[in-house]
This record gives sequence, C-alpha cells and structure tokens, in this order.
Amino acid sequence: MKTRGASIAACLTIGTLFLTACGSGGDSDAGGDSGPITLKFQSLSDQPAAIAATESIVSDWNEANPDVQVEIVPAGWDGIYDKLITQFNGGAAPDIIHYEAASIVPFAADGYLADLSEYMSDEFRADVPEGILNAVTVDDKVIAYPTELQSYMVFANKTLLDAAGVAIPTGETMTWDEMRAIAQATTKDGTYGLGWGLKSPTAAYMSFAPGFGGTYFEGSGADATLSIGEGEMAVPNLVDAMAFEDRSILPVTLSQTGSETLATFYAGQVAMTIQGSFQAANIATDAPEGFDWIVLPPLEGSEGAQQAANPQTLSVNIDSAHVEESAEFIEFFTQTDNLAALNEADALIPATTSAQEALAAKLGTENGWDVILSSGQHLVSAPYLFVDAYAQWKDTVATPAYQRFLAQEIDADGVATELTTGWEEITK
Amino acid sequence: MRHLVRPAQYVALCFYIVFLGFPLLWLISASLKSSGELNSLTVSLIPQDVEWGNYSAALERQGLVRSAWNSAIVALVSTALVLLIALPGAYVLARLKGLVRGMGVGWILVSQVFPVILIILPLFLILRTIGLTDSLVGLTLVHTTYTLPFALWMLQGYVSSIPIELEEAGSMDGASRLTVLRQIVFPLLMPGVVATAMFSFVSSWNEFFFALVLLQSPENYTLPITLKMFIGGEGKVALGPLAAGAVLAAIPSIVFFSIMQKRLTGGLLSGAVKG
Repeated sequence: MKTRGASIAACLTIGTLFLTACGSGGDSDAGGDSGPITLKFQSLSDQPAAIAATESIVSDWNEANPDVQVEIVPAGWDGIYDKLITQFNGGAAPDIIHYEAASIVPFAADGYLADLSEYMSDEFRADVPEGILNAVTVDDKVIAYPTELQSYMVFANKTLLDAAGVAIPTGETMTWDEMRAIAQATTKDGTYGLGWGLKSPTAAYMSFAPGFGGTYFEGSGADATLSIGEGEMAVPNLVDAMAFEDRSILPVTLSQTGSETLATFYAGQVAMTIQGSFQAANIATDAPEGFDWIVLPPLEGSEGAQQAANPQTLSVNIDSAHVEESAEFIEFFTQTDNLAALNEADALIPATTSAQEALAAKLGTENGWDVILSSGQHLVSAPYLFVDAYAQWKDTVATPAYQRFLAQEIDADGVATELTTGWEEITK
Repeated sequence: MRHLVRPAQYVALCFYIVFLGFPLLWLISASLKSSGELNSLTVSLIPQDVEWGNYSAALERQGLVRSAWNSAIVALVSTALVLLIALPGAYVLARLKGLVRGMGVGWILVSQVFPVILIILPLFLILRTIGLTDSLVGLTLVHTTYTLPFALWMLQGYVSSIPIELEEAGSMDGASRLTVLRQIVFPLLMPGVVATAMFSFVSSWNEFFFALVLLQSPENYTLPITLKMFIGGEGKVALGPLAAGAVLAAIPSIVFFSIMQKRLTGGLLSGAVKG
C-alpha cells in the first residue's frame, strides 16, 4: 500500500510540477493594436561583459522608445545555423538576428533577410570601411549591419625577443620576412620562434591571402570559380618553410587550435604566436604573473597588410512586421559609443572607424589595443562570403588538403591540385 | 594459484573504476581551476588554487538553475509518458503473434532510420500549427515520441524473458487476466521498467538538438542548451564555468541513478538473458 501511495503521490507531484513549469511559457509578442511594439532580438553575445553591454544598449533604447520595446532572446553560437534554418522555414524567426557575414549571406541569397539599404544612414555608411560594407552587401542590397571584427595578430614574448637581441618592430606594419627572421633568431635552447595553431588552417590562410594578392574565388554564387596561384599559396608555403626548413615553428602547435597553442606561449616554449585579435583579453587574464607580452604590428605581404574580414552582423527578418523599427534599433545599436562598448567587452574590433577611434582613445596602448585596432583599417571583404559551395569545399577539401601539406604527405603542387580538383568535383 | 585470482579481480576492478571515474574526476578538477591554470601546460588533477568562482559564475551567468528545473520536468514527464505507453505496447509486441507484431516491430525499426535533421522541420511546422513550439509541453511530447520506439523494443525483450507458463499457471489458478498482469507479470517486469525509465530519463535529460530548435525563450531553455552557451564564437570557451556547470548538471542524474541503481542491476541482468 505504501508503495502504491508513494507512486500516486509521485505522479501527482510530477503532474503539478509540469503544469507549473509550462505555465511560465507563452508568447511574449506585442500587445494589442494600441500597445507598444515588441521586437525580438536574437543575440549571440556570450561573454559576461558583452552580455551586459548588450543589455545596457537595449535598456537605453527601451527607455528612449516606449512604443518600440526590444526583447533580447539569448542564443548560443553552437547549432545556430540549424536553428535559423528551422526558424526561417517555420516562420518563427526573430525580428533582429545577430550572426556573422559568412553564415548570414546564404540566408540573404535565399530571400530571408530584409534589404536595409534604405534604412542605413549616410553617417553609418560613411563610417564603415568599404571592404567591410562589401562583406554585407548582396546583389547591391545591404543585408546586415557589420558590428564586430577580428584580425589575426602576432603576440610576442618580449622577454624572449629581448634575450635574442631582436629589434622589436614598431612600424605600422611588419613584413612576413621580418616575422620569419625574428622566429629564426629566437629559435634556440629548446625555444621555438613561433607557435601557430593550424588544426583548421583554411580560415587563417584565406584571411591572409589578400596580403599577397590571393583571392581564391572569382565570381559569386553558383558561378564562382576557384584559382590557386602564388597569392593563395604564399602563406602555406611560408609556413612549410618555417616549419621544415627553418624549424622555427613548434611542430605540435601545427595540429592544435589557437587556444591550445596559448599554453606553449605562456610556458615560454614559443617566442611568438599568431592568434585571433580577441585573444589579447585572454592573454591579459591567463598569462602567468610577470609575463611580458606585446602585440606586433599587422603582418604585411607583397601586396599590403590586407586581411579578409568576416564581421559579426545584425540583420532583419524580411517577414518581420516591423522591419523599419528593427532597422532603427540596429542604427541605434551601432552608434559609436555602443559599438565601442560592445567591442571592448568582446575584445574585438569595431566595424566603424569612429568606434575604433573612440576605443583607441579610451584604451590607449593597454594590452596592445592600439596595434590591434590599427589592423582594422586593413580588413577587406572576403571573396568566399558569396560563394555557394564554399563551406562544403572548406570542410571536405581545403582543410584536409592543407593538413596533409602540414604533415608533409603532399607538396605544394599536390595541395594546389587537390584544392582545384576537389572544387571541380563539388561544383560539377 | 587460486589464491591470486581474487586479488587480481580486485586490481582489475580498481583499474576499471578509475577508467570510468577519471573523466568525472577531471571534470571536477577543471571546475575548480582558474582560467590561467586551465590554459597552462601544467597537468595536475589537484588544482593549484581552488577557484570556487567558477561555480558562482556558472550559476549566475546563464540561468542554470532554471534550465535544470526545466530539464528535470521534461525528463520526468516524458519518462512517465514513455512508460505509460510502452508498457502495454511492449506486452502486446512480446505476447501476440502475427500481423500486429510484425507491423509494430517494423514501425520501431523504421522510426530509427530517419536522422534528426530530416524530421526537425516538419516536426517544427506541426508543433507550430498546434501552438506547441517554444513550449515545454511540446518538447516533452517530442522527447516521448522520439524515445518511445527504443523503449518499446527494450521492454518487449524483458516481457519475452518472462515465461508464458507463469501466466498460464496464474490463469489455471483462477486469476483474471488483469490479476495475472498486476500480480505476476508486472513485479517480474519491474527491473526492465526501471532500466527503461533510466534510459528514457537520460535520453531526455541530455537531448540537445530538438530543444535547440524548438525552444525560443530563455525561460524555457533546458540544461544542454544553457551549457552550450558557455561555448562562444571565435573559439572562445569559458572552460572553468562550463566544467562547473557540467558538474552541477550531472548531480540530478547521479541522484536519480543512485536511487534506481539497485533495481537497474537486476534489470540489466534480466535483459542480458533475453535481450
């Protein structure tokens, strides 16, 4: 009897809990016709400081606009592509969508995003470097506002550079040859000149390619063509030379992620490491006490210091009942002070020049911010953003081919052949 | 030689326990390490300085407690529903012969063929039509539906392992069909029910993709969704708070397993004979 009584009690408890929990759900959409509009803003901000900055901006907006309220819907980066596909197809996408250019462009091509060209102010348009604006322009339509950027920077252990008698570059840029020479000079006594986490090398190689005139793709959409020449192979060949001729790259790092490589940097096993610029914040937090580190000037190739950019973006759902209000909110969100605060919290580079300058004025040389922000001026649109089969080619052809090259299973000609034949097979 | 067998068994058991328990120990260790220590080359199970801040960060940051509550509700209710439907279904599958059984088994096998990504969009549209997206009720129904075929398969194996002669003997002694089921079959089936319940609970507790796509409001997020939010863009991972969150998330499962463990052992053995 006791058991039966307990079972009944358990069932009742579970049922009550379930109904209680379900009661809290429900649609938080706009009120009646006379009530305020509520815009849903799906935000991917993940750092506590960035979440706070986003909430602060939204709070300021809500206070100033009682008739148009914005509700933040936090989401994670992991799985967001699948979630958005379902949301768009199911007619349940939020009004304002936070994402990144490389991933949001296909949604624009499929007609899910509103054309923001007419809503974007002239001030904002003039404030964004042309290359960055191109990254969010599809068929002459602006499909998103760019907000945050990252570049690849060289972080250096100043103590090791000083000990090797190396003159630390102080110019606006630093050539790859200079970096290679520093790596050679600091490779001694068990220390390597460079640690570079190239577990998934394609993104880094493609980002640096514009500095050598490499474009990889011509055309866009399904008509894009791939060509692998000197510009595209410049950085992979340089890595090969540094790793296997100079032996100035710590071999294990070639199979690690960027974050994993940082441990060898902190331990003094490598004098320099190439990382996403946002790692400056992590190094400032995680480096051992007394660790003297600096950020070296942006790397410059034969054609300049350009790097391909894949900005984070804010877009508007084309099926939103309030496209104009959503665009107005984004315009507010991307004002100079707001972008500066958000990028400071995320340790990223603002997409607008004015926000870069505001951040530079505020932070000065702290944690290499001045150098990192200066790299923002060299960011250009990445050609791969508008190529339909890019993601498939990157994952199934390019990354395995580059990994085989790093493992010396194939040579440079072999990589070029694999990249092009793989592309032909995917697009035939 | 024989006197060495028992110590050798214990040594093997110790290795096995360490093998099984090490990931959990490592997780607990990581949850108590500072970000600097986690990102250093020092490999140690014992943290240099215990960093309790990871736990407060995990609890404060993403509404972990609320998510755990949602996960518990969805897992418990879907488990109850699965058992409610699977018990009679499994009995029918195990005891009846002919077309019904064939169709049932065929349905179970076919339902396992489709990948989640293939069914998510139609499922989303159906749930949207009946107003159950972004709802724990909708998610519970999805978890129930998704777990049910395997639970049926599992339970019918346990039912089959109960000799039919026991039921026939009960009938010959004058017991009604219902009495036979209640007094003979169900007690013998209890280990299988417990094992199925645990499978169902854990499947729902850990389920990520349906929850990711179906739930839109943070107040409805389940634990896997919340934990994934510790993994950010650009490769940023808050390792310490993530590990702390994972430790906290494991506690309800551990408690549930501890309560059920005794019966589960019996259930596993029973299933092993006739699975």
